[in-house]
This record gives sequence, C-alpha cells and structure tokens, in this order.
Amino acid sequence: MSGANLTVTVGEGTCGIAAGAKDIATQLKKRLPDATFRTVGCVGMCHQEVLVEIEDDSASYLWGKVDKKNIIKIVKFHKGEAPAPEEFLVRSTEKGDLAGGQYLSRQTRIALRNVGQLNATNIEQYKERDGYKAISKILSDGLTPEDVIEEVKVANIRGRGGAGFPAATKWAFARGAEGEVKYLVCNGDEGDPGAFMDRSLLEGDPHNVLEGMLIAAYAIGASKGYAYIRAEYPLAVEHFGKAIEDAKAAGLLGDNILGSDFSFDIKIKQGAGAFVCGEETALLASIEGERGMPRIRPPFPAIKGLFGMPTIIQNVETLSNMPWIILNGGEAYANIGTETSNGTKVFALAGAIARGGLVEVPMGMTIRELLEDIGGGSSTKYPLKAVQLGGPSGGCIPASMFDTPIDYESINATGAIMGSGGLVVMDEKSCMVDIAKYFLEFTQLESCGKCTSCRVGTVRMREILTRICDGEGTMEDIDNLETLAEQIKSSSLCGLGQTAPNPVLTTLKYFRDEYIAHVKEQKCPAAVCKGLITHTIIQKDCTGCTLCKKYCPVDCIEGELKKPETWVIDQEVCINCGMCVEVCAPDCILVA
Amino acid sequence: MSHESLEATVDPAKVDAWIAELGSEPSAAVPLLQAIQTEYGYLPRPAMEMVIKNTQINASQLFGVATFYAQFRMNPVGRNMIKVCHGTACHVQGADRINTSLNHALGITDEEEDTAPNGSYTVEDVACIGCCSLAPLMIIGDQTFGNLKGSDAQRHLKKHAREHNEVLPGHAEQEKQKKKNKPGQQTAKA
Repeated sequence: MSGANLTVTVGEGTCGIAAGAKDIATQLKKRLPDATFRTVGCVGMCHQEVLVEIEDDSASYLWGKVDKKNIIKIVKFHKGEAPAPEEFLVRSTEKGDLAGGQYLSRQTRIALRNVGQLNATNIEQYKERDGYKAISKILSDGLTPEDVIEEVKVANIRGRGGAGFPAATKWAFARGAEGEVKYLVCNGDEGDPGAFMDRSLLEGDPHNVLEGMLIAAYAIGASKGYAYIRAEYPLAVEHFGKAIEDAKAAGLLGDNILGSDFSFDIKIKQGAGAFVCGEETALLASIEGERGMPRIRPPFPAIKGLFGMPTIIQNVETLSNMPWIILNGGEAYANIGTETSNGTKVFALAGAIARGGLVEVPMGMTIRELLEDIGGGSSTKYPLKAVQLGGPSGGCIPASMFDTPIDYESINATGAIMGSGGLVVMDEKSCMVDIAKYFLEFTQLESCGKCTSCRVGTVRMREILTRICDGEGTMEDIDNLETLAEQIKSSSLCGLGQTAPNPVLTTLKYFRDEYIAHVKEQKCPAAVCKGLITHTIIQKDCTGCTLCKKYCPVDCIEGELKKPETWVIDQEVCINCGMCVEVCAPDCILVA
Repeated sequence: MSHESLEATVDPAKVDAWIAELGSEPSAAVPLLQAIQTEYGYLPRPAMEMVIKNTQINASQLFGVATFYAQFRMNPVGRNMIKVCHGTACHVQGADRINTSLNHALGITDEEEDTAPNGSYTVEDVACIGCCSLAPLMIIGDQTFGNLKGSDAQRHLKKHAREHNEVLPGHAEQEKQKKKNKPGQQTAKA
C-alpha cells in the first residue's frame, strides 16, 4: 500500500512553515507516493504545529506535533502496519477531540470559517465554500448600497482593529460624502507585538478579505482600494496578490464586476514597519509616501482622507466578517455575543498557555473560559498571573479578574482595551514592571514625534521604569509615573499617545506591590529584572558537567570537570543573562 | 567599527528601472526605498541620490521617510541576516538571551554594533513576526527556528555557518583561548 486511498492535508501558514511543515510534506510525499496532497492555511492550533490531517475512505485523523520521528509511526498506521500513535492524535472522526481538548469545539468561527479548511490560493475552493456569493447576491438581487449599510447596521459590528467604532456608521458617512473618487483601505498593518490575526486571515483565506473589501467598497461607492499589509508578512502579501490576480481573471475585480456597473480595483501597499501606521490618518500619510504621522481630525477620513478624497479604513478582521453577514443576515450575526458587543472576536493566544494559537469566540465569553477551556491553562509549572490584552495600547488584567466577560465595555472598565486581539498570557515568572517597561520601550521607539507629550513623556516614563527595574527607583518615581501617564493620555493627538501609558497604569493598579518591592526591598519578586537578581550554583546539585561555562558569554563561571564543589559564578563579572540556567540539566543554578 | 568592504556597488540601470516601474511621484517613495533595500540589504547613498535627482521626491522627503520606518537601514549589512523577534510573547520567553548568545558567538561586543567584525552576519531585532506560539524565535536567511533557548540559537548559527563557509569570530576566538588555557583537557559531552 502506498496511500492511494488517502488524502493528506498539511497546514502551511507562516507558523506551520516555521515549524517545518515543508519538510514534513516532502517526507510524506516520499512515503505515501500515491496519496492526494492538499495544502491549507493555518487552522489556528499553533501549539500543535506541524499539523497534518490524513483522511482514508471512512475516517479522518488530525495529527499534531508531527516531526521526523513520529512521522514513521503515523505512516505505518495509515498503511495498516501498526496501531495508531495516539499521543499525537489531536482529533479523529471516531474519537473526537483528543489532544486539542475543546480547542475547536468551543469556538464560533465566522471570520476564520475557511482558514485551515481550504487552499488559500485556489479561488475555486473558496467558491465551493459559498465564496463570492455575497457580492453576487448584492449585485444580482439589486441590493442598493443603503441596503448593504442597513444590513451591517443590524449586525452591529464594531471595528475589530481596536477602537471598536461601529462599521455601519462610518460607511454611512463616506456614502454621503462628496468626492470624485472614494477609497477603501484595508488595514493589515498589524503592528501589535503578540498579535497575528490579520496575518492568518490574509494568508489563510485572502479571497474572503477581498470579498469583504468588495462589499464595503460597493456600500460606500469606492472605486479604488488599497490593501496595506505589513512587509513582515511576506506570505500574506503573496497570497493576497494571487487572490487579486485570480479575482480579476474571474471578473470579480476590475471594471463592471459580474456584468454590473460596479467597478473596483485593489493595489497592495506594503507597510515599512511603523506601529503608528495602524492609526488611520498615519496609514494614509504612509500610502501617500510621507512619514507615517497622524493628522488632526476633523476632517475625518470618511469626508477627506487619502489624497483628499473620502476614505474608509477598515481592519482585515472586520472585513472578513462581511461576506458572512450579507449571506446570513445582520440579525444572525447580532444574535451572537452580548447586547452591546455583537458577534465574535478573533484572538491570538500566546505566551505561557498550553494551547496557543488563533481562536474565534463569541463576545461575552469570560477570560477564564478562553484561557482554560480553549487554551488549556498554563503551559508551565507555575500558575497564571495575568493576561495582557491590546498590546502596547492595552493593559494587564490580573488572574483575580479572569471572570470578566470579553466585551468592549467590560474590558475597558478594567483599564485594558479589547484591542485588535493580541492576548499574551503570563505566569508567575513574569515581572509586571518589566512588562510595563517592555511596552514603554516599544511605544517610545514607535512614537512618531509629533506631539511633545508623547515624544518626550514616553522617554521620561521609560527612564523611570528602567531606574525601578535596576533597583534605583524611589517611591516618588511611582507617583511621577502616574502624573506623567495622565498628562500623556490627555495631550496626545492620536491613539498611540493616548493609550501608551495604559500598560503602566494597569500594572500600577493591579500589581503596585511589585513596583514597591522593586523600590523598597530592591527585589524583583518574579526574578526577572537583571539589576536585582543574582545567579549562584547550588554545588550539592551540580554534576560538574561544564555546560554552563561553555555557554557563558562573559566567562564568569569556573570549575573543574566532574568536581561539583569547585564550581562558582564570579558575581562581579556575571551579567545575569540566564544562559547558564537554560542549559543546566540538573537545574542547579539558583536565581534570586 | 566600519564595514567599508560591505558597501554595495549601485547599478544605475536598476534604479532607473525601479523608477520606471514604481513611478516618480511622491507617493512612490516607500516602494522605491523598499526596492532598493531588497536588492542591497540597505539604502546605499548613491541609490538615494539617483532617486532624488530623477523623481519628484525631494531629499527631505526621501531621507525623512527612510529614517522614519523601522524597515529601512542606512548601513551595510553582513553577508547573512539573522532576525530576532522581539514581540511580546518572545520577550517574556527570553528573546534577549538569543541576542546575548548570538552576539557572543559572533564576537559582537559593542552595543551599538549589529554586524560581526568579519562581516559574516548581521543580527537585527525585529518587531513581532506573528509566530507567537513558537516564541522565542529567529530567522537566519530564510529559515525560521522556534522555541529557542540561547544555546539552541548558537547551535543553529554554527550549523548555518558550516553550510555557508562562514567563520564565527566570537567562537573561533573562544576555542583558541580554551586550548591555550587547558591543554589536553576534554570538555564533557553536552
């Protein structure tokens, strides 16, 4: 048997490829030469990469963490030569969800409905899954732009990029605005460190994003569109570019789409690495070839935007929901979620979580349900301490508040924001002052420099945080942080400045004792801040293997082979980088 | 430390071709710089000057844009690129240690410097590349390595260097030192 009855599907999103999916696919082709092979985008179970689904005549098996070793067992099983290596089985027709737990079953996938299910660069497969039916319905049933806006209004979908502004309201503004041309811009400048929702959508189901753009363009009367995609996402750029070509060839893009008088064309603009370009007016400046600096509003882009023309900027995820809303009706969408936050939200779960990846859940689910039922809890031996929501503009929510439902109002009330969907999970080994410092360093580097309070204020906050992390802070520094934070928030022009202090404010609110420990006791409770910790060798556990010495970048560890009692770290030279801890097999280096 | 030997020779015909393809109006500034950087790995001065001379983009706009966006760099790069992700997930899981480890192997001691003294590798910190579940991670050339410890980073770098006939200055130095200090002594098996 060489697999003639088998269909093998390999997930080849960026993370799958990074985990070695291409090698695995090559190996499988060698071992199962007669099987049918398919390539799909990322199904979102990043913690199980490389993922391979193998279907035979009667059942399907989803294998996780496939590598060069277990691939042999898996192939043998499918050839009927060995029992199933169940420890790698994520899900099967017969046994249901195994290693993945409720990872998939607790989700409601609308924006992500096709991601991981189809070959992203094959327009026919998208069409088979009701692709381009929404735009056909609009054009052939004679739905007016006002009808489309009304449907979106009923769905009550709010912008998924972070601000949460109702999409229909924005569209109605642009619809009514005067201009020779109108523009629709798809914002795929996902700059949040720790977020990869837009990447997966653009990579895994680009036609869905494209159809969403068509719907929005039709509603506002736009004839030109831009897809602004980060240059760091080469696969997303490639897949979306292919989607544009194929849609043009199929008469779904260009002049007189599907024989109607609606014409729309899309160009890709690659971002060049500026977080502030996620802000809509800065993004427009960037498309125009300028430095990405925000502009004063009003006039709002819906009235006077790109090249002075009415422009709507909509996030990738928001657009990805549009085809479903048109096909299933705004009401069906509004029925999901809570009263004020309707529909679903995609999150990128990362950090100290057992089952990380991309998930889409109905609004109103609690953080705990998301972390435990779907995410499977902590991935380390330490309990969870907090989640960071909304990236550099968001904040940390402590474990004591994990019962907070995920909707715009409840999340805002904690001091964090919904944000675009980056959700980084932290365990007891994360220092909250260090996290605050990390984000401040980020926003300070990314501040465009237009407003003094943001340009200078973030530098001052960063200096104070660095002092505290080095054990040189004072109690007055903590008060100054709060004063500065309020000033920056109230006197910055754009969202970056207005939200930059959030990570500091939320950690001060919920983890003030950690700041105080750094200042008063000169202690980092999580043992992270390099200025406040020491590394020492516990000689009774040491085996004298010399590995720590080999990797020490400053040559501060000395001792003789197999003589544990001789091993010491020179504290004067040690930079507390932690390399030795990582390589130490008997775990004999004490960090305190 | 300067790397004059790494300066690229700019082919004027190529720059002209990019201008013809991408346009000469102000909105072409970012795509033109991206084309130049893709070709040379950085923005060589002569290429910038050609753009200013042959398009409607003036020097203040072009340099303004080039220095604003993180993607662009004004200094030459080593023969190979290493990108170390510094997204949130990578940060909390020890991305800094990857830099420490790579710099150690490459003999980069100056904090301002990102290229090995022999021009073999450039280590660049990048914002999130969106593979957070594999954190911390780095990219050497076009290969991605995830779930890294500092020591793994060195192992992958050494393998890459062997395959590409590059010498790692930091390590060569270290090995020499070791031999000098302890003749005949063997290190335990890792």
